Amino acid sequence: MASDQGIRESEPQSFFDLVFARLGVNLSKMGTSKLQRNGYLSKVYLMELIPNALLVLFGALVIWSASLTIPEASFLRHLLGIVLGLIVAAAMWKYDYSVFADKFTFLLVLDIVLMLLPAVPGLGYNAKGMTGWIQVPFIGMTFQPSEFAKIVTILLMASVVGTYNGKIDTLKDYLKLCGILCIPFVLILTQPDLGTGLIVLVLGASIIICGGAKARWVLITVGIIVVGAFAVVASSMTEGLPHILKQYQLNRLIVFVDPSVDPAGNGYNLQQAKIAVGSGGFFGKGIGHASQAGSGFLPEAHTDFVFALLAEEFGFLGSVFLLFLFGWMIIATVGLALRVDTPFAKLVCVGVAAMWTFQLLQNVGMCIGIMPITGIPLPFISFGSSSMMSQLLAAGLVQSVWRHRKKSG
Amino acid sequence: MSLSTIIIILLVILLLALAGLYVFYNRGDEKLQFDIGGQAPRASGGNDASAERTIRSRLIGLGLASLSVITVLFARLWSMQLVSKDEYTTQAESNRTRTISLAAPRGRILDRSGNEIVGNRPSLTVISKPEVADNAIEVQLLGNLIGMPAAAVRRKIQDQSEGAQSDRTVASDVSRRVVAYIGEHPYLFEGITVQERSARSYPYGKLAAHVVGYTGTVTREQLEESAKSEDEGAIVYETGDTVGQAGVEFQYENVLQGIRGEQSVHVDASGTVLEYSTSVEPQSGSDIVLTIDAPLQQAVEDSLADIINRIRSSVSKKCRAGSAIVMDVTNGEILAMASCPTYSPNIFVGGISNDDWSALQSEQSDNPLMNRAISGQYPSASTIKPFTTIAALDNGIANDKSEYDCTGWWTGFGEGSGQYCWEHKGHGHMNLRTGIIYSCDTVFYEIGKGFYESKNPEALQAKLKEWGLGELTGIDLPGESVGRIPDAEWKWNYYTSAADTDREWKGGDFTNLAIGQGDLLVTPIQMGCAYAGLATGGKVWRPHVLKSVRTRTGSGSVVDYDPQILREVVEDEKFRNIVIEGLKGVITEESEHIKRHFETLPVSVAAKSGTGERIGHNPTAWFISFAPADNAKYAVIVTIEEATWASTSSLYVNRDALGALYDAPDSIVPAMEGIDSIGD
Repeated sequence: MASDQGIRESEPQSFFDLVFARLGVNLSKMGTSKLQRNGYLSKVYLMELIPNALLVLFGALVIWSASLTIPEASFLRHLLGIVLGLIVAAAMWKYDYSVFADKFTFLLVLDIVLMLLPAVPGLGYNAKGMTGWIQVPFIGMTFQPSEFAKIVTILLMASVVGTYNGKIDTLKDYLKLCGILCIPFVLILTQPDLGTGLIVLVLGASIIICGGAKARWVLITVGIIVVGAFAVVASSMTEGLPHILKQYQLNRLIVFVDPSVDPAGNGYNLQQAKIAVGSGGFFGKGIGHASQAGSGFLPEAHTDFVFALLAEEFGFLGSVFLLFLFGWMIIATVGLALRVDTPFAKLVCVGVAAMWTFQLLQNVGMCIGIMPITGIPLPFISFGSSSMMSQLLAAGLVQSVWRHRKKSG
Repeated sequence: MSLSTIIIILLVILLLALAGLYVFYNRGDEKLQFDIGGQAPRASGGNDASAERTIRSRLIGLGLASLSVITVLFARLWSMQLVSKDEYTTQAESNRTRTISLAAPRGRILDRSGNEIVGNRPSLTVISKPEVADNAIEVQLLGNLIGMPAAAVRRKIQDQSEGAQSDRTVASDVSRRVVAYIGEHPYLFEGITVQERSARSYPYGKLAAHVVGYTGTVTREQLEESAKSEDEGAIVYETGDTVGQAGVEFQYENVLQGIRGEQSVHVDASGTVLEYSTSVEPQSGSDIVLTIDAPLQQAVEDSLADIINRIRSSVSKKCRAGSAIVMDVTNGEILAMASCPTYSPNIFVGGISNDDWSALQSEQSDNPLMNRAISGQYPSASTIKPFTTIAALDNGIANDKSEYDCTGWWTGFGEGSGQYCWEHKGHGHMNLRTGIIYSCDTVFYEIGKGFYESKNPEALQAKLKEWGLGELTGIDLPGESVGRIPDAEWKWNYYTSAADTDREWKGGDFTNLAIGQGDLLVTPIQMGCAYAGLATGGKVWRPHVLKSVRTRTGSGSVVDYDPQILREVVEDEKFRNIVIEGLKGVITEESEHIKRHFETLPVSVAAKSGTGERIGHNPTAWFISFAPADNAKYAVIVTIEEATWASTSSLYVNRDALGALYDAPDSIVPAMEGIDSIGD
């Protein structure tokens, strides 16, 4: 029943195996091809590595084009971020991820420390109105610990949910898991960084759901969250009640619902992003010809709104290529989750895949007006070393899962 | 959007089909399971395989969720980048395209021989964004650079008269050094730019200031009006445009104002021009050729100012104001029009300062912006007597045989309401002709009494109106006053707070009107037109300052002003002759003094003086002449306010104007005082 690579041949083929088989690609065979079986290549998960590498290259191209017109978008710094990220990823890949499976307490403490770092006097650094940055002493580089906290949270949630082995039977257990997830979520909200908080919430929830939570509880929880969110928004908009959301967050929501409310103010970014994307057309305007991003109409064109820049320069073709690469990478990660043995390994992959999916949805979605504006970077594309390093770390984690998967069934 | 909607629906169907496919491949034991329910808990060593299967189905669910996210994004991108591409492209273009309007040079204003009274010159202007006012250091630096106090610079920047959002003019006509310094230190002068603008220039200085008027920045009212205008080809103003605000600049704004050009440019988000695109050249405004003769205008202005100065420095300290008009009675052309005190139109260039504006509006300044030749309203005084005479002849109140006896004290309405003739000693035996020559009030009191006692007393007012008194002349300048011919109805309605007996029209009102005093008000231009009618035998041309319009673009064609007849008054030639003979006698018979002044002219002159009484003021001096007396070409109308010498002072200006016209200057230097008062 088991191959030497730990892939259970007898296991009923998954939906993806069947779909890919129809397309002439055999997912399971991919891992057991001659190329992978022998030599160094067998230690890397090509199905994830190829789209990931293409994304990094694509991102570098986009940032290089942005650097032509936006002085802040330093191409060299972007390359430095990639190099640092590759080092971190390689280290993660070499390292056996499974040692984290029973390090729940360590991970929790690490998570909390990362979240609290910016609050340490002398380390905290203000950027874009958030306190979520720290400045590394002596070096002077700034980075965002919450980016790394996302990865730690994945490991944390996977380690604790994994112990349930796919079945979370009692309400008490379920509530305990939700409570653990709330720790990093609430800490991030206090920074305040609603965007990262939402990512943590989504990836944690994905891990809990895939880890075997009862559907009924999940639905009830979602219901409570929806009602709670409405209550928060309504309270923030009503005179006299506590304003939990900041005014700018509220404005973003209002503008998301009706962009024409204030086209010069809060609606401006959204409007400009949509114009950039839409005017890109099928083939795009070409590198260096993006009038929206290149002439400063599109703010944050190299960071939060990088997708709008990409869509303007590379058009529908480039946008779809990006979606394709993400889709490939995410499905490959989910595919890996299907094939590895331990619940911890599966859930780590789930967390990474959920993170990428949500960040893709949020970042691309806000540029095209289907999600409210939040400061979430587009993985592997946006300018910013913290994001690049943490995303490559996540990729390294997936590769580590591949490399250190059980060799026998 | 309909196409994209269809595409989204198709994609949803595709997703459902994929889900169906999945169910198809997982039928039987491998059914989709999201929850296992009822299984033994992990702690009791439950079924491991089913737990595995739960994770498996949920992982597949996660994969499907990811795919559907990507599908939604794909569908939206399809709709935006393929279906609605043109709409967004249009918005992107309008984002980066700005249209800079290119100001068209304003037409020049020339005198009748083509001398440039108003021209254009380039002016280096410092422009500031409104926010600069908040930057104290920058304001101070700018003030030091252009030599203005910082407070003044800030006031200029805060001045919103050019529109709240528009850039502010800080200084005009700055030196090249200033321009170079600002250019070399852009970081010190953020928000400050230097533009080369076209400014009005006045080669003759103040010459004919009241005729040419001045320009200013378009006002909000004018902007709104031009935006509302539905006229084809009407000028649509933009904030900051220079428009005529007075005089010919205002009257012929549509001619002088050019048609702006447009330059499309591509800009970045901060408005910096990246590249130039298409352009439409501006079309210059047309030149205006005036009927004004610059040398004559200069002579008249100099004389008027000189005489007023002499009066002020000798006998009447309050004497500051007056006007003089020289017109061609054969076609209505205004050859010269002066008003005193005057102003320099140059102070309006680049925006008049608040201080200058208040100074021009103040009580002490005697309203220098007012063109007294057309807006000044005075009792006509004795200059009305020719028309009273004609009215009397016409209505049978008097005839060429009528005789009067002037004792200096007239008691036609009884001793209690007796009135003096201006000559208290009395003129003795008078007729209509000598009545005009000596301006004998008694003659005209009798005429006034005659009208009062006639069946149709207001025939007097009707005749005066027929000659155009109390009526607009329709001169092509803004701000003309209408004057007033009082009658019974007017008096009753005007003095509403007085007792009824005081509101009634009385005999004294007629005697006052007959000598041009009391409630009567006329303007110098009205009197000029009336005398022009006398001079030509009844035909009055509409007075005008426009001679022709010269286009500066294309063929440079010239359009001449087409003179119009304002009115034609038909009078018996015999009546007119009596009056003309009287007016000639004013020069030749009344006094040696007047005669000596006019002897040196190569032509005979007909004239009438007048002394308008104003309660609480020194009298207003009138002197109206036309020449040659028998075949008139020119009429000269002079008024001086607060003139103690009375009409003598206006006589000098009048004589100087005729001297300039006929190149025969007055050889007698005007004496300062002790002159016999000439006929009132």
